[in-house]
Amino acid sequence: MTDIAATPRTGIEVWSILRWVLAILATIIAVLPIWWMINVVFSVPGEPVVINPRLWPTSLSSGLGKIHMILTETEYLRAYVVSLLYALLTIAGVTLIGSMAAFEFALFDFPGRRLLFSLVMLSLMVPVAVTIIPTYLLTAELGWLNTMQGLVVPGLSSAFGLFLLVQFMRSIPRDMIEAARLDGASHFDIYWHIVLPLSRNALITLAILTFMKTWGNYMWPLIVAPRPEMYTVGQVVGLFNSPYSHQTVDVVMTANLLAAVPPLIFFLIFQRKIVEGIAMSGSKG
Amino acid sequence: MAELDIRDVAKSYGNVSILKDVNLHIDTGEFVVFVGPSGCGKSTLLRMISGLEDISSGTIAIDGQVMNDVEPAERGISMVFQSYALYPHMTTFGNVSFGLRMAHEAKDVIRDKVAKAAEILKLDKLLDRKPANLSGGQKQRVAIGRAIVREPRVFLFDEPLSNLDAELRVQMRSELMELHRRLGATMIYVTHDQVEAMTLADKMVVLNAGRIQQVGAPLALYDDPDNLFVAGFVGSPKMNFLAARAEGDRLTGLGGQAEMALPHPVAEPQVTVGIRPEHLRLAAIGETLPQDAVAMTGKVGFVEQLGDMSYVHLALADGTNVIARTTARWGGAPEAQAVLDPAKVLLFGSDGQRIRSDRPKHHA
Repeated sequence: MTDIAATPRTGIEVWSILRWVLAILATIIAVLPIWWMINVVFSVPGEPVVINPRLWPTSLSSGLGKIHMILTETEYLRAYVVSLLYALLTIAGVTLIGSMAAFEFALFDFPGRRLLFSLVMLSLMVPVAVTIIPTYLLTAELGWLNTMQGLVVPGLSSAFGLFLLVQFMRSIPRDMIEAARLDGASHFDIYWHIVLPLSRNALITLAILTFMKTWGNYMWPLIVAPRPEMYTVGQVVGLFNSPYSHQTVDVVMTANLLAAVPPLIFFLIFQRKIVEGIAMSGSKG
Repeated sequence: MAELDIRDVAKSYGNVSILKDVNLHIDTGEFVVFVGPSGCGKSTLLRMISGLEDISSGTIAIDGQVMNDVEPAERGISMVFQSYALYPHMTTFGNVSFGLRMAHEAKDVIRDKVAKAAEILKLDKLLDRKPANLSGGQKQRVAIGRAIVREPRVFLFDEPLSNLDAELRVQMRSELMELHRRLGATMIYVTHDQVEAMTLADKMVVLNAGRIQQVGAPLALYDDPDNLFVAGFVGSPKMNFLAARAEGDRLTGLGGQAEMALPHPVAEPQVTVGIRPEHLRLAAIGETLPQDAVAMTGKVGFVEQLGDMSYVHLALADGTNVIARTTARWGGAPEAQAVLDPAKVLLFGSDGQRIRSDRPKHHA
């Protein structure tokens, strides 16, 4: 008995060790750049890490000093506000418009429903590079260059978001909608009191994915809002990184670190939801 | 509390006809059960009464007011769904009060009405729970509570007990009857379970293939079915059917061998004889029977021993299978005689309609 039991156990042990090794390797590869960034930021200026390689930060105060300098002496804080507004307004718009459209597409039949939905899905196939110039021209025509609406509005039509929400709402039992109708709920009541609360998980997922996409969006703000007052965090970081920047590497790294902090915090809070959400949407964010 | 009038109602999806020529009157306070096999249109008819399904032609009127174009919520009906359709994100209180909140009732009115319904349905202690934390029977009660608080004129039930286990189903059945007695409301109940239909109904409506087959009190349908479908559908185990020939004033070839006097003259030469299992007496092979006894010998197949009675399946000479009920325990003989009670025989024509002694009666 013991022999029989022992053989597979050794196998399991070998496997679990291998798995651990692989997991640790993957973690190192993923974490090292971020750690390196922290390492460079929290080091004494004029003591380049490249020359004197080490894996741990040396000076907390000089790191904090650099952060303080960037937040007070550059336009970084303003960019933070712009980026945050950009992300939050986009999230609000995408979830509101997406959920209303998904409500109709998923739960009701109307003439042309299939055709319209196919058209929306077709737009998923079109690469951003193709649509960015017409979208820019349209936005310019509306006089929305260098405005918040210019940043936000073109991003509100999220075909992916609609798809995600439609898939989710299709699983809401028809009986429940009918029960609400019999209970005297109006069309909007059904959306507001029944479908929206039931779609909470899908909406949170969409909000998270939208945040990650908007916060990391570099191209659209770059072309539609080139005035410094409308710079997003991404653009400001771009300035620090540009070839003619007079900043030293550690200051550039500090700018990068500050840009990475909100998504990091976001990720730590919603870690479980993000994983669930990506698994649910069946595609990468 | 209301009466309901369904006139010449039909339903079709494109070319597919679901319901045809439905005519039915339901009196105030009646408990009416729509029963039939799946796909017979019973749920569709219920949904048409509720307004969730459009009416292709004909009219449905509640208290004389035609409802065809009236919104579901304004018809004065409440419906309990098979799946209960409770809102999972709301507590019992939230679920039961939803309709009242949608009607913008005052808060204290809502509280009073929910409290009253909760008392009737013994939900008092469950008002703060969400559906996920309720058992099947409790969910069912919440669904009924949601229907009660709206004080509807007509209650509609769409197979409400089919998700419950057998024991709970019997209990809920008696609770429903008690509820009906207490509220005195008109109730329409859909089920495919004829036992449920028999035990609950004041009036039973048997449907098949989109048509009403017969309407009547459960025992009237049991004793006096209009056609082969109703005869076979009502009663468990179902009625036995035997092919026979009418020759003069005799019926011959029963089960391939027996004959009997025709109870009344028939116009057709080929008829189907219907006889319920309890009207077939089993006799041992050697047993001496009166001369006019209508006895058919058969091989004993499957025997259902239920303790207080046994159902014995017999294969007759012409291959017909019949079931006979006996209150004695079955001894295990390989063959037996089934003795038919001529007074209980029902005759059906080749069109499946009942042949009565007088003119064939049609359902109301």
